[in-house]
Order: sequence, then structure tokens, then C-alpha cells
Amino acid sequence: MDVTNVMAHVASSVDVTNILVEVAPRFEGYVYPNEASPEPLWGILIVIYPYITGLVAGAFIMASLVRVFRVQALEPVYRLSLLTALSFMLCATMPLLLHLGHPERCYEIMMTPHLTSPMAIFGFVYAWYLMAVLLLELWFDYRQDFVEWSQTEPGFRGMLYRALMLGVTDESEAAVKLDMKLGWIISIIGIPSAFLLHGYVGFIFGSIKANPWWGNVLMPIIFILSAMVSGIALCVLNYMVLTWVRRKKIDMRCLDMMAMFLFYALVIDAAVEGLDWIHRIYSAEEDFSVIRYVATEKLFYTLNIGQALMGTVLPLLMLGLNQVVRKRLSDMARKRMYFASALMIVLGVFAMRWNVVIGGQLFSKSLRGFMSYKMQFIGMEGWLLGLVVLSIPFIILTVMIKLFLSERLPTAGHTPHPTPPSN
Amino acid sequence: MRLFNMPPQIVRLCLVTIGIVGSYLVARAVLTPPSFREYGFFRGDALKDIMALPPQYGGKVSCDECHSDQFTKLNKGGHKRLSCEVCHGPGYAHTQSPDAGMHKPTFTVCSKCHEANPSRPKTHKQIVLKEHYAGGKCMECHVPHSPAEVP
Amino acid sequence: MSQKLSRRNVLAKISAALAAACAAPAAQAAKATVQKVLVESGGAKGYDPTKHKWAMAIDASRCIGCGSCADACKKENHVPEGHYYRTWIERYVITKPKPGSDEARGEVLVDSPEGGMHGFGPCPVPKEELLQSFFVPKLCNLCLHSPCAQVCPVGATFDSPDGAVLVDRKYCIGCGFCIQACPYGCRFMSPVTHTAEKCTLCYHRITRGLKPACVEVCPVQARIFGDLKNPVPDDPLQTFYKNNRVQTLKPHLGTEPRVMYAGIDKEVR
Repeated sequence: MDVTNVMAHVASSVDVTNILVEVAPRFEGYVYPNEASPEPLWGILIVIYPYITGLVAGAFIMASLVRVFRVQALEPVYRLSLLTALSFMLCATMPLLLHLGHPERCYEIMMTPHLTSPMAIFGFVYAWYLMAVLLLELWFDYRQDFVEWSQTEPGFRGMLYRALMLGVTDESEAAVKLDMKLGWIISIIGIPSAFLLHGYVGFIFGSIKANPWWGNVLMPIIFILSAMVSGIALCVLNYMVLTWVRRKKIDMRCLDMMAMFLFYALVIDAAVEGLDWIHRIYSAEEDFSVIRYVATEKLFYTLNIGQALMGTVLPLLMLGLNQVVRKRLSDMARKRMYFASALMIVLGVFAMRWNVVIGGQLFSKSLRGFMSYKMQFIGMEGWLLGLVVLSIPFIILTVMIKLFLSERLPTAGHTPHPTPPSN
Repeated sequence: MRLFNMPPQIVRLCLVTIGIVGSYLVARAVLTPPSFREYGFFRGDALKDIMALPPQYGGKVSCDECHSDQFTKLNKGGHKRLSCEVCHGPGYAHTQSPDAGMHKPTFTVCSKCHEANPSRPKTHKQIVLKEHYAGGKCMECHVPHSPAEVP
Repeated sequence: MSQKLSRRNVLAKISAALAAACAAPAAQAAKATVQKVLVESGGAKGYDPTKHKWAMAIDASRCIGCGSCADACKKENHVPEGHYYRTWIERYVITKPKPGSDEARGEVLVDSPEGGMHGFGPCPVPKEELLQSFFVPKLCNLCLHSPCAQVCPVGATFDSPDGAVLVDRKYCIGCGFCIQACPYGCRFMSPVTHTAEKCTLCYHRITRGLKPACVEVCPVQARIFGDLKNPVPDDPLQTFYKNNRVQTLKPHLGTEPRVMYAGIDKEVR
């Protein structure tokens, strides 16, 4: 039975509508009584959570291009990418905690982690990634600088750098070499960890077999790929904004290289997401009429316009054009196109997270009806709090840039992409 | 600081790791509820918490203690399978203290089951109340505790 | 005091068992004793959750849609007002196919006004257009492989040893994952406790020897309840299993619901 037919029937008769669609026209068709809520169970905060986590994973992959794959052109953004990843990582659990019914009980997830739950495992993946990967890689990279800066910088800064040295003052060539070697190893461990981190976020949704919009084997892969795309795009934006604020000249070789990786990542991402849709359309399972209605009607603007056109097709065209005719375009034209593409991608991936999280809650699991929600401005699931949560990582990043990427502070001579350990 | 000739970075990091893992294990030992894993991966005391909730419906058998005449009558007639609380409402409080009153059934308790509706099984006795008797006083003609009886 | 003594006894028993022979069977026996004593001393009036297996079955062909069960459930369990239901009744209305159409049946309309707890209004389709209609009571499906308990990150929702799927409201963090994972819409986030809530099979009643409230008040025995480990003479559940060809809801999801339905239609999900 085609759900849209049922709804046409419902709409065709006023009497029927009054009886069958209870309370308010928020619901079309039949939804389970417990689903008839005016607000989605998972709202804007749960949209922001995979978005932030994705930016972390993407920004880290960006940094790994320098350290592991030794893309020298990207060296100017190495530390910026890592600091971006760290600032977003520090905020990744915030929307989750704010969303919990009992945030004061959150420690239970670490004390009695239920190992069959993707969410419980995420606690450990998160801790691993933050402490064993991000902080360690940064520490190895910065240790020598901390030693130097702690001697030259007075006051609070000096104390901070001294504390961050963790008491290791060894600046000998052998020690620095060891730092670089260990950093390289951490970075290699970090790449699968980044995939694991965001793959797990995808799995939190992909494992919900009760929900055909979510329960999908490709979900973790789509999440990883879109994470890479959004993370690289964010690094492009951060780099361009930072150089503009500091009135510095942009290193066009670096920017072109970032745009190239962004383009390739986007191509793969678009291909896999397209494959997902082809599979859904072709196999057209029980739930397909519902999914089609959600994709073409309920999420028309955010999915078709926001995610597909603005977030994927237009950036693909612009970045693709740059790959083909780069030499004929002026620096200024390229900068503008890169900036526009990166901005559209960052917004498009946000739309993608929105479509996944909210889209999965727009239809009844009875597959007989649909819900509609009106976004509030104020409140726990309102726009305002969402904007606040999203702005906090940027504030942290600004502070970090001031502390660890200051123009006043000289950096030690070492490069982040040393010759790999050659025994 | 040189320990077993290890580079200082490694020593520091090992100490930090031991500190983190150690405090995690201590926290886990302290914060895991004692009854956790008593029956499975949950707090065993949760079962007792849920068991301790007070019931609202007393169950049919408990009515027999004081109202055995009505109880026997009911069990002989066509409504023998009905529990008293279907019409009289929740009565656990009443079983504990007779002062706690019971819901006084009106004709709506009859119509909620016997008003005709095409979705109901055909074998179920149904009437269209408006056509059947507009007065709506079912008990003028029917005895709920013994439907076949005429008052 | 007596509790202390019995615990001391248990400890003595354990150490005795361990001292006698550090064999695994002995340790296991000691563990069983500990569990038994804990259950008996815990104010649970001798109820041992490992000695029961509760189940429910629904004979939808009997249901008259009176709403007594949904109403009683709300009252018994203090279910919050509004769109929160631990059990509810759905009405399925299947129309005749349009004249001239070559379809077997027409449209399927489903409704459940206020969970059906105040009954149902007149049929939404005129008699001439109606092919058939029926009611289906819904509740927690007591899945053998419950997806809700699987996804709970902290072990706050769980399969109890006696067959209920319960929520520990003192331990639930209120993440909502279980509500998303339940394919049957049986769970909700309580606006009062901010924890997940669901049908407990009236755990506080069945452990006292009472029937679940919905079973107690069902006037037509559409809800059948019993203990699989302790069947009584003429056990209604066993009779139901014997006399009906049963279905479960959404079997393709592999949740293996233990609540079995008789007399439902392919449109019920």
C-alpha cells in the first residue's frame, strides 16, 4: 500500500482527516502514539555532534597528509589543522552532554560501558583519539618549542609552556629526532583512529535497523568521507581567514594543494553517496515510498538544494574547473572560488548531518505517516543554543592560535615531515 | 631523569598513562553499583526498585473477600470473564482500606464495550445506543452482574 | 540483623566451599546460594527472577477496542499525560477497492486516537466502502534479541531474567538511543523522570502474583499472559499457542518478539 495514496485519501475527506489525524496537522497519516511528539527526540544538538566530530577527523586527515604522506606544500597548515582538530575535539561531547536527560550520570558510560552499544564504545574511541592521538602528536611536535618558549616568555605564557613541557627539557638532536619519529608513528596510528572515530559516529546511526533512513551499511563510510570533505574545507577557510586577519600573503602552492585534495575527497564522497541512493532506489524495499517522500518533499530544501546542489554539485564544478584550467586563472579568482567552494561544502555537510538526523525522525516507524517539527529559537533544542555550541570550538581555536601559533614566537627548525625512520 | 635508560619523553608519558589508567580503574571500582552484574549487565537492585512500586489495580480475587455475593453472581453469568475493575475502576487502595471509595460506574462503561462499531468482532454483542434506548439508563433493563437476568 | 547473619552464613558457606575444593562447580554452587539469599533478603518476598519466564500473547480477533487496557495501563503505571503510552490500541480500516480497479483491496487507514484509551469513534469510512476492519492491541514485544537493550550504553535498560525488558530509572542517562532503536514505537522519554520508559509487563504486579493491569481489565481475553516456566492447569498461554497460527511484528528485523499475535493482517507492523 502506497503511503502517499493513503494520505491523498486522508486529505480528500475532511471528516476522515478529523478522525484519523489527531490533534494537529503536524502529523500526516498514522504515526505511533509515542512518536506524536512536537519535538524530535534528537534535535539540533545531535545534528551538531556528528558535524563537529567529522570536522575533527577531517582536519586530522589534512594534517596527516603532511606528516605521513609528506605533502610538503601543505606544511603551512600542518599545525593549524591539528589545532583545529583539537579545538573541535574538545567540544565534541558537549552537544551530547547537553542533550542527555541526566547529564550528571554521564560518567556511567565509562564505568559500566555496555559493550554491545555503539554509544558506549564511542566513549573509549573518543578518549583514545583525544589523548593517545591528538594530544600526543601535538606534544611531540611542540615539545622543543615549549622548552624554548618557556625560557623566553614571561608571566602566564611562560608558566603554561613550562607546564606543558611535562618536565622534559632535553633539546639534544637525538631527543628532537625521537620526538619526530614518535610523532610520525602516532600520526600513522592516527589515520585509522580518525576513520574509527567518525566511522563509529556513522555506526551509531547505521546500526539502527529499526529506522530505514539510518540502518544502512554505507552509513559509516558516508560519514567518514563527508567528514574528510568538511574537515579539509574547514582548514581551507581557517587558513584563508587567518592569513587575511594577519595581513599575510597566502601561500598559493599550499592553497592549490588543499583545493586539489578537497576536490578528490569530494569526488569520492559524492560517488559513494550517489551509490547509496542508487541502491535505495533500485532495491526499493518496503520503506521506499516513505524514504522517497522524505527525500523529495519533507527534506526538499536541505537535501536537494542544500546538500546535493550547494554542498556537492557546485563545489565539484568549481574545484574541478580549477583542476583543469588552474594556470589560466588568476590568484584572486582561484582564492575566491576556493573560498566559496569551501564555505558551501562546510554548510552542505552541515545540511547532510541535518538530513540524516532529522530526516530519520520525520516518518513513523510504522511506515504509515510523517511528522513535522518547527525549529524553536530558544530552548535546549533551539537555534540559539545550537549556534552557541557551534561557536565555542572557534573561540577555543582563536585562543589556541594566540597561544601556540603566535607570530611573535619563533619555531624550532624542525619540519613536521622528517625523513621517516630509516634505521 | 633516566629510568632504565629510557628517553625522558617516554618516561613522562608512561607516568601520565599510568596516572590516567590508574585513576580510571579506581573510579570504576568506586562508582560501579554493587549489585551490577548480579543477574546480567544491569543493576540487580533495579529489579527490586521496580518490584517495590505500588499497584493500583487489586485483582479480581481480592474482591471476593468482602463482596462474595456479587462475586459469585458475576461468575455465574455472561460477564463471568470480566474483572470487577473493568467497570469499577482501580481498587487496590479500596482493598487496603474500605474507606477509599470506588468509581461509580455509569452507562458509559456499558457503551464502551457494547456500542456498535464495524471494527468489532461480529460475535461480540453490540447495539446502536441511539436506536436501542435513547434514555441511556442501561440498568433499567439489564443487570450488569448477570446480563441474562431481567430486573 | 538477620540479613547480616545470613550474609555471614553465605560468606562462611562460600569459604567452606572454596576451602573444600577449589573446583568450579563448588564455586558456582556458592554463587547460586549467594544470589538466592540476596533475592530472599532483599524485600522481594521470596520472588526469584531466575525461576520465571513471563510472556504475553495477543488474540487480535477478540479485541473490541474498548480501550480499557490502555486506560488501565496509564492509571496503574502513572504514565504521564499526553502522547506517552506503554500500551495502545490501533484500528485498521481496509476499504473496498475503487469501482473498476483491479486491486484486491483498497486503502488501509490506521488510527489510534489517544492510544485508544477512550475507545474509538465511528468508522471513518461509510459502510458501503468498508471491506474489513479490526483492532490490534500493541505493547512491548518482549524481543528475544531486544535492540533497545543492545544499544543502551550503560546497561540501564535490560532483559530481566524472567522475560521482561525493563528500564532502571535511577541509572538511565536519558540519551534516547533505545527509543530510536525500538522498531515498534514502544518507548518514550518521560517528561517527568527524563529517562526512557516502557511497558514493564507490570513487573511490580506479576512479582506479587497479580496479572498485568491490561490483562486484568481486558473484558474479552484478547491479552493472554502466563509463565512459561510454571504453566498452570489449562494454562491460557499454552492453549493459545496450541490453538492459533501466530505471527510476530516486523520479523525481518530479527528481533524475535516473544509477544505473538493471532488474527492480525499483513498491514500490521
